[in-house]
Amino acid sequence: MNPLREVWQSIVRRDPLSTDKGKSELVFLNVWLHIHPAKVKKENLKVKHTFYLGFITFFLFLILVTTGVALMVYYRPQSPQAYQDMKDLQFVVYLGSFLRNMHRWAAHGMVICVFLHMCRVFYTGSYKRPRQFNWVIGVVLFLLTLGLSFTGYLLPWDQLAFWAITVGTNIGSYAPLMGARIRELLLGGHSVGESALLRFYVLHVAVLPVLMTLLTMVHFWRVRKDGGLSRPVWKLKEEKSAQLVTIGASDTNAALAAVPASKDKTYGLMEVVTGKPIFETVSMEEEEDTVFSYPYAFFREGIALLVTVTTVMAVSLFWKAPLEELANPAKTPNPAKAPWYFLGLQELVSHSALLGGVIVPTLAVLVLIAIPYIDSNPSRRPADRKWAIRAFTLFVVVNVVLIIVGTFFRGPGWAMVPPWVHITGAE
Amino acid sequence: MKRRSFVSWGTAGLVALCSGISVSLAAVVRFLTPSVFYEPPQTFKIGNPADFSYGPPTFLADEKIFVFRNPEKGFAVASAVCTHLGCTVGYFQSDERFHCPCHGSVFNADGAVEHGPAPRPLEWFEVTLARDGQLQVDKDHAVPASYRLVVSS
Repeated sequence: MNPLREVWQSIVRRDPLSTDKGKSELVFLNVWLHIHPAKVKKENLKVKHTFYLGFITFFLFLILVTTGVALMVYYRPQSPQAYQDMKDLQFVVYLGSFLRNMHRWAAHGMVICVFLHMCRVFYTGSYKRPRQFNWVIGVVLFLLTLGLSFTGYLLPWDQLAFWAITVGTNIGSYAPLMGARIRELLLGGHSVGESALLRFYVLHVAVLPVLMTLLTMVHFWRVRKDGGLSRPVWKLKEEKSAQLVTIGASDTNAALAAVPASKDKTYGLMEVVTGKPIFETVSMEEEEDTVFSYPYAFFREGIALLVTVTTVMAVSLFWKAPLEELANPAKTPNPAKAPWYFLGLQELVSHSALLGGVIVPTLAVLVLIAIPYIDSNPSRRPADRKWAIRAFTLFVVVNVVLIIVGTFFRGPGWAMVPPWVHITGAE
Repeated sequence: MKRRSFVSWGTAGLVALCSGISVSLAAVVRFLTPSVFYEPPQTFKIGNPADFSYGPPTFLADEKIFVFRNPEKGFAVASAVCTHLGCTVGYFQSDERFHCPCHGSVFNADGAVEHGPAPRPLEWFEVTLARDGQLQVDKDHAVPASYRLVVSS
């Protein structure tokens, strides 16, 4: 045998991709591709069902890790060097400005995509049994995304950073009993200063990314074990849809329906256990609805990756990440605004810090986490879930409206201004 | 193993585990709490009384305080930190009010909240005369808004 071919064979260890066996082995013999089953359901690949939002969020995270590591080479988490390094990145370092733009816009994009992904999962009822806890992990990932974005916000050490974090951490200090203590631990002092910069840096580049990576792995693994992406069951045939709607919902130990064995397939008896599987399984009748992950799923995911990277690069070419003057603790900009995704909160906080900064967000997060356990309706059909959909839509609309008001309609002294003031700079 | 000894060993093990976790958590929190704060001192001198003029208060940016001097009433020092979310307030002579740029809180000349989300009045700090004749402010020592230091010139 050709020695080169032998080495190649020892690496890939599979049959040629021209065969069905080779295509499936490519997936399940590869640690990275093993995240997929060898075959996926055709319905799952349709863009209009998932919009690939989960993938896009993950790809944005990859962009953030890559550009973030590159930026770390030139960044020192000290005052005032941090700001000087930002200026260096902007004007001196080759591709520095471009990489920083990519990092900033990908971070904003990730906040948007993770939220849209959550909306998609809600509207398709994909948090229902057996995926309840994966929804909870998803909510935690959403909070980690906000945490990563918030901790990164301080690092440029400019006026925008300093005051956004001053306002943000003061909101947290309204939490009863522990608020002031948590703020002190987070800042390593009584106000935003050198210690806070270092602590935010450690959280931003080490603690939160590690947590994010671990939970993302669990999130993906559970999606995989729960039968892949959830399907739009209401589009399936009536009988099959009824089965999938209630899959895993039954507490009875009814035996699984006997399925005639196929002549063309080899079956392996892995283990003999009793009871019903909690996850969706592909029955023989559904075989015709599946395709090989390679190339069909990977090709589409590759396109999603390409579109994501290209979009972030294009945006970064035309729009610069903001950098204001050096942080000045004595001079509060007017108005001092938190990052845009916290402007809804800031709008509430402008009325009452305790209500808007602590009570409402805490309740919102608790309700979000509890959704799969509150919603006892086993059906995933939109027609059966009108009230759930209305309530969630109200939640989304209120959030979006508050953010728009905080972003475009608030001017100096937090007074109401028409939105064009921000563009023309005149009242 | 007998059931009795299993239960007692099990309980002891659980108690040991919980204690270990609690002690570790407490140690982590203590580790994260700085033993020394490398921050500006809370008690500091701001200059001689003659350095401050009558009329509008003098704003000291680094210390985030306003120094008031009144011919009859003497010296008073107000915090420039808004009690809502820590932004730095500005003093406007036109209406003799403190205005917060962040959420529009307005405080009157005594620091009392007149408008906006601020939950408490602005703080007033003790100001004394140091041995060398300079004014000394103690930010750890809050005083009522009526507190004044009268310096005979």
